[in-house]
Amino acid sequence: MDWHLLGLSFVTVFISELGDKSQLAAIALSGNSRSPRFVFLGAAAALLLASLLGVLLGEGTAHLLPAHVVKIVAAIGFAIMAIRLLLPRSESTGDS
Amino acid sequence: MEVHSSAFNRLVLYSDSVEDDPASTHPRLELELDSGIVIEERDIPPSSTVEPQPLAESNSICQGWKVFATTFATIFLAELGDKTQVSTLLMSAEFHAPWVVFTGAAAALIATSLLGVLVGRWLSTRLSPRTLDTAAGITLALISVWLLWDVLSS
Repeated sequence: MDWHLLGLSFVTVFISELGDKSQLAAIALSGNSRSPRFVFLGAAAALLLASLLGVLLGEGTAHLLPAHVVKIVAAIGFAIMAIRLLLPRSESTGDS
Repeated sequence: MEVHSSAFNRLVLYSDSVEDDPASTHPRLELELDSGIVIEERDIPPSSTVEPQPLAESNSICQGWKVFATTFATIFLAELGDKTQVSTLLMSAEFHAPWVVFTGAAAALIATSLLGVLVGRWLSTRLSPRTLDTAAGITLALISVWLLWDVLSS
């Protein structure tokens, strides 16, 4: 095991992710959720899978999935969650 | 008639029509299907025997997995093609040791999301739910704009 490389990749990724959108999303989602444990599991699993794909496919991801489309879909997802939080509560009965 | 699902595989129908056997407390009808689902018809029991506990518990677990799924889907899509993924793949290509790079990146990602969740929980103890909802909503809206900005500026 190359400990130097391990440390280097840890520090690089840690610093680039600190305060990035996925961490902000984790803060926002866990603060108002009753199950922060599941937010953590979801966020960690998503990040691991994304970087695993990065390692496995290399630059192939750019050709496989156009980043523009993926980011627009993600933006819509975040917008929907934002709207659901910001709109006044009326769905407490019809939320099942 | 009330329908109660007292467990995952047992559907109990409580009937309040007692004309055929008012004294009976036994199930009047019990059907076991191939799938192992039991349908049982009972007279309405004394209120203390109806326990909503397992129902509430399974409900909250279900809620938890819903939270997991939405978190996973949005963060996964947001991170795909993001700079972390790019730097991970560049490093693994450069050093020819993809698994070492992945292990380091994985540990860092788990650490940052754990930090994020801990900060979120800490905030939830300090702020009112109303303020928290507004703040979280604004944050998520900003992330949405941020992602759109990434698309437009590239």
